[in-house]
Amino acid sequence: MDKHLNMAHGHDQAPVSDDAGLDPVCGMTVDKASASARELVAEHEGITYYFCGRGCKLEFGDDPGRFLDPSYIPAM
Amino acid sequence: MPAESAADPRLLPIEIVLPIEGMTCASCVNRIERFLKKTPGVADASVNLATERATVRLDPGVAGRDEAVAAVRAAGYEVKPEAAVAAGAEGTAASLADEVSADDLDRERLQRQTLLQASVAIAAAVLIMIAMFTPQTVVAMMDLNKLILWPATFIQFWAGGRFYRAAWRAGRHGGATMDTLVAVGTSAAWVYSVFVTMYPEVIHLAGLHPETYFDSSTIIIGLILLGRWLESRAKGRTTGAIRRLIGLQATTARRIRDGVEEDVELSLVVPGDLLRVRPGDRVPVDGVVAEGSSAVDESMLTGEPIPVTKSVGDEVIGATINTSGSFVMRAVHVGRDTALARIVDLVQRAQGSKAPIQKLADRISEIFVPIVLLVAALTFLVWFLGGPEPRVTLALTAFIGVVIIACPCAMGLATPTAIMVGTGKGAEVGILIRGGEALEAAGRIDTVVLDKTGTLTLGRPAVSQVLPVPGTDSRRLLDLVASLEVRSEHPLGEAIVRLAREDELGFLPVEAFEAQAGRGIKGRVDGHDVTIGSGRLLDELGIDRAALTADADAAAAQGATVSWVAVDGALAGLFTITDPVKAESAEAVRQMRAMGLEVWMLTGDGRRTAEAVAAQVGIPSDHVIAEVLPADKDATIERLQAEGRRVAMVGDGINDAPALARADVGIAIGTGADVAIEASDVTLVGGDPRLVASAIGLSRATIRVIRQNLFWAFAYNVLLIPVAMGVLYPAFGVTLNPALAAGAMALSSVSVVTNSLRLRTVDVRPGHVRAMRRGPLGLIRDGAFLIVIGVIALAVAGGVLAADRALDSSSRQIAVTASSFRFSTPDLTIRAGEWVVVTFTNDDPVVHDWSVEGVANVDVPARPGQTAKLRFVIDTPGTYRILCTIPGHAEAGMVGTLVVNAP
Repeated sequence: MDKHLNMAHGHDQAPVSDDAGLDPVCGMTVDKASASARELVAEHEGITYYFCGRGCKLEFGDDPGRFLDPSYIPAM
Repeated sequence: MPAESAADPRLLPIEIVLPIEGMTCASCVNRIERFLKKTPGVADASVNLATERATVRLDPGVAGRDEAVAAVRAAGYEVKPEAAVAAGAEGTAASLADEVSADDLDRERLQRQTLLQASVAIAAAVLIMIAMFTPQTVVAMMDLNKLILWPATFIQFWAGGRFYRAAWRAGRHGGATMDTLVAVGTSAAWVYSVFVTMYPEVIHLAGLHPETYFDSSTIIIGLILLGRWLESRAKGRTTGAIRRLIGLQATTARRIRDGVEEDVELSLVVPGDLLRVRPGDRVPVDGVVAEGSSAVDESMLTGEPIPVTKSVGDEVIGATINTSGSFVMRAVHVGRDTALARIVDLVQRAQGSKAPIQKLADRISEIFVPIVLLVAALTFLVWFLGGPEPRVTLALTAFIGVVIIACPCAMGLATPTAIMVGTGKGAEVGILIRGGEALEAAGRIDTVVLDKTGTLTLGRPAVSQVLPVPGTDSRRLLDLVASLEVRSEHPLGEAIVRLAREDELGFLPVEAFEAQAGRGIKGRVDGHDVTIGSGRLLDELGIDRAALTADADAAAAQGATVSWVAVDGALAGLFTITDPVKAESAEAVRQMRAMGLEVWMLTGDGRRTAEAVAAQVGIPSDHVIAEVLPADKDATIERLQAEGRRVAMVGDGINDAPALARADVGIAIGTGADVAIEASDVTLVGGDPRLVASAIGLSRATIRVIRQNLFWAFAYNVLLIPVAMGVLYPAFGVTLNPALAAGAMALSSVSVVTNSLRLRTVDVRPGHVRAMRRGPLGLIRDGAFLIVIGVIALAVAGGVLAADRALDSSSRQIAVTASSFRFSTPDLTIRAGEWVVVTFTNDDPVVHDWSVEGVANVDVPARPGQTAKLRFVIDTPGTYRILCTIPGHAEAGMVGTLVVNAP
């Protein structure tokens, strides 16, 4: 639960570091390199987002606005 | 048609499990769940990230596995290629079959072991008897006993071990069975004999011959095991029913997945799979029709002989047979959940829950054993308090004698021989009885429940009415219709063709034959367009049926199936098809009533059809239990049993199997399914319901003979109990000895076997049951026979005694008296090879004996005041020393000389 709050707090900010990206759908920290390698990336309005898996990427693709809305709390 | 399919709760949502690939987090879970839930037909879906499984509840009438898989794919995930084997796979056919055959192997092994133990014990007993009862003077009996001890001990514990175990089991609950009696009796014989063998001088000092009962202990064990084996052989396999049920299942299914059709193992079919069922196939699992329609023969499960039309949305049951037409079904229940598996389960449970019938021999033993022990204890007490010296030895000997003689070896033959003759007699007319327990149970029945279809009726559709519209000839109608029906393979059509063939009709030329599965057939016959089918089919063709609707409704109300016929676009007539009542049914019911049995009828059919049949056979309507779902038949039997009745169930269908297994006696009518036969206790080959009365009558007669047998098995031994107690001792000096015990065994065995053979005269032919009823004449006949046997037995015994006397009187008689430690005639002269009888009287206050030194078995002890006798022959001439072997007596002067001259 603590983790969840941390994630919620940081989700709309810039990625934590250069190597790690944040999955906007579930809030997990994702390794950018491996996500790119598995094509778990998406561009939206010029920003690249990284995902933990296909589900999150597809969810994001369906309706990016919902996940980028500041009031959205990741599922985890 | 049974009404269960419409309201069957089993068509509630089914649950399928899909293994999912590629999930990483909770949002994957949410996404898949959302996609599944919006699929039509899915009631609920839950996805587990950790186990990577989606559990989907769906309405099998709307969606199946393919739809669920499509939804998962639409969500962007893959379902792992091969589904895990259905939940509960341990309950699939293969594993159940393995379990069952292991049981059978066990039983066979036990049976072989029983036979082996019985034959070894009997062979040993015969050898022991030869050794014991052959007069000889080469090997001393005391040395021979030491030799006999080993085989007798081996038999006692190897072959007799089971009696100890069973007696222990019964004893823990404070009970006594036949096993207890055998264990106690043979142990007494064995223990006494071992003691005599080890310490012959103790017995000798008590003035007794050191005789052993090793023959008794081994022959009793041998004969009782032989009886057990005979009984188990008649018993057969109880697990056969389950094996047969499993055998009904299809082994493969034709699965359609992702548009690809392939034959797969039944165990790989999961709920929700689409399966194609082709004409002649067995329906692989329970499910619903998703596409197409066909007539399915469900007779094996419902007993209903007329195939049921199934179309989209209808339920189909695994193991039923698709007749014509192909359809695609969606699997709903697989493995342990199918109707067939539930029947297997019911049969298993019913067989397991059936309280074993306490055998007559056990019921007698329950009372007999404590009485014997009490009598033996009393005997001990009386001898100990008032008997001659040495009191302890003599009291113990009398105690043991009572226990030994109390165990009748014919007891083991009483039941099996009667059962063998009784079942053999039954087999002659097609009554197959599965073993003694079934026979005993059948003899006690007071209520008979008859299944309608296949038991009281033929179980095969037949045309009952041909109704042409006015102006049409019924023969012409039959000719046209039969010609067309020859082409169809529908059982209703077969009934029409059968009728036509009786008049050599139905050979007209047919063109353009066309079958519409489940609805009807049409074609051009002899230049006319002929259509045969359901009322609905004719309505669809716009044909007016009004002329015959009243007749059709009346026939339908009686349970008949109606086939409508249109010729050249106009109504031509109709056929009513029913399952006719067997010609013998009414007489069968009458006979059962005459035997004092209450007769009920049980059926899944509607009440009006059921009552119509009941009226024809003479069963009152308050004894008709109608509209019973197949699965509830055994519950109905249970209810009747709860009212205190002993119920026999007569049936033929697979759906009857649980009820047959549940009933006190299950009677399968032999035209029926193998499973029903296997689940039953009695099978009537040929399907004549009158055999039910014959079977029960035969069982009653057999039980009567078993009772008489047990009486005779016990009678001789009970008669000898007072002898063993020593009642004859004060007057004749006689107590129990091995020869008396062996005589009782022989006599009781002969009585029992000959009495059983009398069962051969019972008339069991169908319809002759009256002759089996027992009047005063039967009582006299039974009594007279048994008395004759008793008299013959006594005559044989008397003859043996007389022969013995005769031999004695033709022998040389020598009287010797012992008094004041002297033999009255110390020196004797005899010839070699001459039989001599020595009458030895003891006038001293201590035990003496008279024996010839160096010759085995020429030794006769006598207690104070007793006169003992010894018959012997010496073949070698010479001079022998005579002496008293009691320590110190020879030294005191009890010696003499025996001169044996050459002949």
